[in-house]
This record gives sequence, C-alpha cells and structure tokens, in this order.
Amino acid sequence: MTYAARVKRDIERWRSIGWIDASVADNLAGDVDARAKRAFGFGSVLTILAAIMLAAAVLIFVAANWETIARPVRVVSLFALIFAGYVGGAVMKARGLRWPGEGAWLVAGAAFGASIALIGQMYHLSGEEVDAILTWGIGIAFAAVVLRSPASNVFAVGLAGLWLSLAMMDTELRDVHVPTVGFPIMAAVLWALSLYCRSRASRHCLLALLVYYGLLQCIHHRPWDDAAVMMAGVSALFFVLCAIFPRLAERFLAIRQAAVYGLIGFGVAMTLLQVSNSEAIVGPASLAFAGTVVALMLGGRNSAPVRWLAYVMFGAELCVVYLLTVGSMLGTAGFLAAAGLLLAATAFVIFLFERRMRSAQAGQGDRS
Amino acid sequence: MKASLRLIALAVLVALVQIGFLGWMIAGRAGILRDGAEIRLKVEPVDPRDLLRGDYVRLAYDISAIPVQLRTGSTGRSVDRGDRMCVGLEPNPDGLWQPVSLRAVDDRNGAPVGTVEICGKVTSVANGRDVRLEYGIERFYLPEGQGRAIERDMRVRTFIVVAAVDADGQAQIKALYDGKNKLYEEPLY
Repeated sequence: MTYAARVKRDIERWRSIGWIDASVADNLAGDVDARAKRAFGFGSVLTILAAIMLAAAVLIFVAANWETIARPVRVVSLFALIFAGYVGGAVMKARGLRWPGEGAWLVAGAAFGASIALIGQMYHLSGEEVDAILTWGIGIAFAAVVLRSPASNVFAVGLAGLWLSLAMMDTELRDVHVPTVGFPIMAAVLWALSLYCRSRASRHCLLALLVYYGLLQCIHHRPWDDAAVMMAGVSALFFVLCAIFPRLAERFLAIRQAAVYGLIGFGVAMTLLQVSNSEAIVGPASLAFAGTVVALMLGGRNSAPVRWLAYVMFGAELCVVYLLTVGSMLGTAGFLAAAGLLLAATAFVIFLFERRMRSAQAGQGDRS
Repeated sequence: MKASLRLIALAVLVALVQIGFLGWMIAGRAGILRDGAEIRLKVEPVDPRDLLRGDYVRLAYDISAIPVQLRTGSTGRSVDRGDRMCVGLEPNPDGLWQPVSLRAVDDRNGAPVGTVEICGKVTSVANGRDVRLEYGIERFYLPEGQGRAIERDMRVRTFIVVAAVDADGQAQIKALYDGKNKLYEEPLY
C-alpha cells in the first residue's frame, strides 16, 4: 500500500473517532492527493528505466565499433544526441514533463560517456578506463550542477562508484591512495551537490557506496582485522548517533532512515571479522549478536527498516555461526534440522521484540 | 516563461561545454597524427577486450622494456613505478626504431640530440636491469569479432606499428602492418 493510501485510511479513522471534523479530513486528503501526484509514480519509473535502456544501447553500440557507419558520422551523431538530449530535456521540463526531461538528460549524459569511449577507440588510447570514467563523471556532475538535475546527480554518484571499483582493482599497477583519499572527497562534493539538486536518492546511494568503500578498504588491507574493527566501530557510532537523535540526523543528513546504513556497515564488518577468525569465532559472533540486539533496542522501535534489517542480520548471523562451526560435521539432515531450529529461534526473538514493542506502545497510549 | 527559457539556455550551455571538451580531445589527437614524427616499431600481441570500447588487441613493443644501462643525465636517482620517463629512438637499417637513451622526463640534461623521443609511465623495474614502460599505445581497437584473428596472425608473423610522436613525446598509433602489408591506417578523424 502506498503512503498516500495509508495516510488516507488513517485520516478516515481519525475522522470516525471524532478527533478531526469532516472539513479538516477533506483538506488533509486533498493535500495528500496533490502531493502523491507530484511524487515518483509508476509512469516516471518506466520513463527512467526507458532512459537507462537507451543509454546502455548507445554505449554498447559504440563498443561494437561498427564499420558500416563512418567514424565522423558516428562522432557527429553522438554530438547531436548530446545536444538534442540536453536541450530536448530542458524543453520537456519547461513544459512540466519532469521525469521525461530528466530521462533525456540521462541519455545525453550516456552519449557524452560513449563519445569519450569512441575517441579512445578512434585513436587507440590505451590510457586507463579509470581516468575515462572520472572524466565522464566530472562531465555529468557539471550537467547536474548547471541543470539542477537530480537524475544526473544519481548518475554521477553511480559513476563515482564505478570509478571506486575500478581504481581499487589491480592495485599492483595503481596507487591505492588515489581512491582511498579521492573517494571520500568525491563523496563530499557529490553530497553537497545532492543538497543543491534536492536528490535524496543520491544521498542514499552515497551512504551505500561508503559502506562499499569500507568493504573494499578492508579487503585491500589483508589481513583485514584492524580495518574491519575500525569499520565496525565507525558504522556502530554512525548508527547509534542516528538512532538516538533521529530528528537531528534527519535534519543534518536530509534523508530518513540513515541509521540503516550504519547497521549494514556493522554487519559487513562483523562478517569479515568472523570469516578471518573462523577458529576463534566466539568473540566476534557474540559481538555481532549483541550489536544486532542493541540495534533493535535503540532503533527498532522507530524504524521499520532498521527492525527488519536487524531480524535478517540475526538470522544471517545464526547461519554464519552454524556454517563456520558445526557445518562441516553434519550432513544434509543435520543441516535441515539446524535450519529449522535457527528459524524457530529467529522467529522467537522477533516475537519477543514485537510483543515488547506493542506493550510499550500501549503503555504510552495509556499515559497520553 | 522566463524560467523555462533560462533552463533551455543552461541546457545549451551544458551541451556545448561537453561537446567542446570532446572536440578539443579529438583535435589534440588528430594534431599528433598530423604533425608528429613517424616511427616504426615491432609489436607482439598480449591479450584482448575492453567492455566499453569493444574488441582490441593488447600490444607489447620491443621498446616496452628498456635496459637501465641506456640511462643518461643524472643517473643517481632511482627509478620508481609511476615515474614518467622518455626514451630516445633511432632507426636501425631495417627501418625499425630502437632505443638509444633513457631519461627522467624532467631531466633536461639527459635529452639526446637528433633522436625522436617517446615518453611513457614506468610500470615496473625488473630486478634493476629493465625498466618497463607504457606509452599509451598498447591497444589496437578493431571492429567486433576481428580481434582474435589478428591476434592469432600476430603470434606467427612479424607485425609493425607506425606511430606518430609529438614534441612532448606523446605517441599515437598511425597504422598497423602485417609485414609489408598495411592492415589498418588511421584517418585523422
């Protein structure tokens, strides 16, 4: 059920209880409808998906290096696509077609990247893909600033993620400090850009990429125990701050549910620790369990995503412990029995927690 | 109305800046092909493919590894991975170009007179004897599906790359020869 439908049902309930009168209820419902129309609907999702497909088609077409179309023609067509995409997108936006306009800008951005690739192909440049992606990303970020385009903003964040992945690969050949120092700077710039472009999706992607950054750093610093401990610590601190001061976090980060990324980071770090210490798993495993429970206590009440993520992590943690300890000794039957017991244990924890939460909420209701 | 005109003007600006940047890249590369000194190098294939730009053959040159003894100029400094270095080249009687000197890019004293210099990035130093360099001409892009065939032929016959080198030592592939047979020649644009 969408948010709008849920709120309208609540409004109806409040009216029937008599907390609000009919005119207030109508106003509220009208406001919800007006907002829902502006929000990201099914049509806009399809528009953006179509734009992504067109963008991919442009990129792959260039990669095929098709001889039938002369090179200058290919270059000029791509330039025309860049121009038509940006200007056409602006015209559509000016006429109130917001998402089709954003989609056209995405296609234009892809044509820019395809042109960089085509030039590399034309002149046999063996320079690094890493630099090509960086150049591309700078071009897209430039478009996002000038046009104040949230979709281009997300595009630039995606390219930053791609750049990070490529730059952290083959660190035999490349200096690992470049992505290690460069990515946080890039993330800060893109974060600022997302505030300007009003792109919440960019901020979500950036937080997810920071977790990914932590994971890559851990893997790079093998043995990764120290790095993983640090990642767990930073993630836990982030989570606790977000969970204790949800209002402040929402205002400061300008997104809701940021705590989720702290919890994901913590889970990833704990998994790494357990994988590298599979002989002495008791310490990290109990820390992971404790962390999950603390997360439920601190953040589970106010946030459904945190609650569900904590449940999933609890279940996953049971599986990890099982796989790393007894898993090697038991057969299929043993595994199934253990899985059943694990599920039952998870369900029991969820049940206990939900009951506590309900009684706490009921207690609050009585007081008010 | 005014706001929408402004948005369209900004979109034109973005498009022109991006296209201008790409045009500048193309002009620079075409300039090297047009005006650069021409050298002929013997090549061998390494292995192919690039996701974004399609099929290519990775090339290794005779000049990809340069003996440290050729070092000129202030030879006291050690060579590290990532350094930029320039190699002086002279043609041998077969018309293939061979290395005659090696210097750090900022070491003007080492620059030889009368040779063509090609500059690249050090990728490794093999136990103090050879310096391995990449010049940015280690790939040859081909239409989809042709990479394997060329690569196979290259393993049995001698292939030659003709490259253009500009005054800063930046090189670019101009043509690919199968022995005396010209397979590909790059147009300026």
